[in-house]
Amino acid sequence: MAKGTTIEVKNLNTWFGRKHILKDISCYFEDNCVTGVMGPSGCGKSTWLRTINRLNDTVGSFRMTGEIFIEGKDIYAPTADVYSLRRRVGMVFQRPNPFPMSIKDNITFGPKLHGINDGDELDEIVETTLKKAALWDEVKDNLEQPGTTLSGGQQQRLCIARALSVDPPVLLMDEPVSSLDPLSASKIEDLIVELKKDYTIILVTHNVQQAFRVSDRAAFLYLGELVEFDKTAKIAEAPSDPRTEAFITGRIG
Amino acid sequence: MDRTNCNDKSPDEAVRRPNRLRDRIHSLKNSIRCFIHEARTARGGARVDFLGRLGLFIPAVVSIGIIILVLTFLWYESTPILTSPEGGPGIIFETTWDPNRDMYGIAVFIAGSFMCTFLAIGIAVPLGIGAAIFLSEFCPHTLQSVIRTIVEMMAAIPSIVYGLWAYVVLVPFIKYEFAPAVQSNPLTAWMPWFGGSSNGLGLLAGGVILAIMLLPTVVAVSDDALRSVPKSYREASLALGATTSETARSVVLSAAIPGIGAAVILSLGRAVGETMAVLMVTGNSLQIAYSLFDPVYVMTSIITNQLGYAYTFDLWRSALFAVALVLMLMSILFTGAAKLIVKWGMKTRGME
Ligand SMILES: Nc1ncnc2c1ncn2[C@@H]1O[C@H](COP(=O)(O)OP(=O)(O)OP(=O)(O)O)[C@@H](O)[C@H]1O
Ligand SMILES: [Mg+2]
Repeated sequence: MAKGTTIEVKNLNTWFGRKHILKDISCYFEDNCVTGVMGPSGCGKSTWLRTINRLNDTVGSFRMTGEIFIEGKDIYAPTADVYSLRRRVGMVFQRPNPFPMSIKDNITFGPKLHGINDGDELDEIVETTLKKAALWDEVKDNLEQPGTTLSGGQQQRLCIARALSVDPPVLLMDEPVSSLDPLSASKIEDLIVELKKDYTIILVTHNVQQAFRVSDRAAFLYLGELVEFDKTAKIAEAPSDPRTEAFITGRIG
Repeated sequence: MDRTNCNDKSPDEAVRRPNRLRDRIHSLKNSIRCFIHEARTARGGARVDFLGRLGLFIPAVVSIGIIILVLTFLWYESTPILTSPEGGPGIIFETTWDPNRDMYGIAVFIAGSFMCTFLAIGIAVPLGIGAAIFLSEFCPHTLQSVIRTIVEMMAAIPSIVYGLWAYVVLVPFIKYEFAPAVQSNPLTAWMPWFGGSSNGLGLLAGGVILAIMLLPTVVAVSDDALRSVPKSYREASLALGATTSETARSVVLSAAIPGIGAAVILSLGRAVGETMAVLMVTGNSLQIAYSLFDPVYVMTSIITNQLGYAYTFDLWRSALFAVALVLMLMSILFTGAAKLIVKWGMKTRGME
């Protein structure tokens, strides 16, 4: 069973071309807790998340300075292996993006990639991860059905299951419920709270209430600056920066 | 007249009922009835909309009509041979073509076309898909547009130019370099498909030149299919720790298969009907090829070569039309089969 790991970000600056997106961010994500990242649209939340699994490396114009340590290891060190990093840092995207394959193949994709070929073992992974993602009961009789024919909420849970299939200690979730109905959204929120026992979760959202409901710690990002980073309860009660207060009361955002 | 009946666009129950043909006919009748009803009652905006749809409907009907007309015409022209005692539908299995003795077996040409086409497809499809994968997944951006332009230009070269090139370069190469090399090498000499003497003209030359001509289509259409695979699939795969090539192979290619299937359809249709370049390099000898170096006679070549002499001989001429009919049916068959494959592929991927 995976155990969450800590993540430390030091003086992170990123650019797309000449556009300075993230400005000198330093912070520390504790293990086994949910950190909610809030901020208005376009402030750099997704960019931040994607630096943690180095997905921004695929963007030609991306540039960065600073360091990110996972379990004390610098993930941008020249010797760091980006593929094993991504295996240990799962990601759920803003929009559900199951592969155009069967539900089962969606889940077994990651494990197969990393050398698990035994049929029974794969079946077990399918079952346990779908159960974790609270989707098992709905799909257990239709595992050969294409993943893309599920409903939006089911697809997003399938994507969560897919991310869990390689048992990553860290889970990055980029507004996982923003395109879903309230019922599916609350199911996924419950799921996130459930998952933090085993994973370090960073949850991006621009929904303040949601961040308050599910996160233990919260970060507020504004125009690429990390304005506030503290216990969620503390931020909910008495934010120390007027911009945070303005955002959570709905005056900016 | 029940108007709600006309708006019924989901005949779901109809599919579940046992007699599907009767339901089809029923729903066809119903839609014609609704169509007439709408033509009589639509007013204002609804009328404009109706006329617009009618305007779009006409070209569709016309193109179906043209296909039916062409088929009927070919059928009509080939009746003499298909009904005469010397011919009959059995000519598609007869291998002797000798107009002097009134023997019109066309199996040689059918076999020639099949072999040439499948050899070409067998070369062009893997190469073309490989090139398309390189282009869309691995190629640096600056090079991408250059290669795309070259590919488009390749598609625009007239087939006679390919034929000339093949005649002066490819044919001698096969005759003086390739054939002696494979026939003297003990590793390949025993292979039956490398047997026989070669004068360069033959199945291999035809297949290769056809493959070269198909390549741009296969590359361009596959490249389009690969590029239209959403970035989100690629990112999901990379985020699981896949490398770029694993992503290309397991996710992108799999998602693009229906589109690539379309590329194969297009090239099959083009390959079987291609004339000029093939005519120039296949040797056109009335025999069935047993080796890559044997000459072949394809359907388009026999028509082109003999129509002039045959025109005044009823049976001979109509035998050539029968060849054209088979050719047409073959390309319809290919297209249909490939369409089914694409449909099946889309369905198993939930991409309908
Ligand atoms: N691939 C890219 N190339 C260039 N600029 C980019 C790219 N991705 C993001 N940006 C820019 O970076 C900035 C931050 O984008 P980001 O996606 O991180 O915002 P966000 O906080 O996630 O917003 P949202 O809440 O709307 O998802 C935006 O101004 C955007 O235009
Ligand atoms: Mg975002």
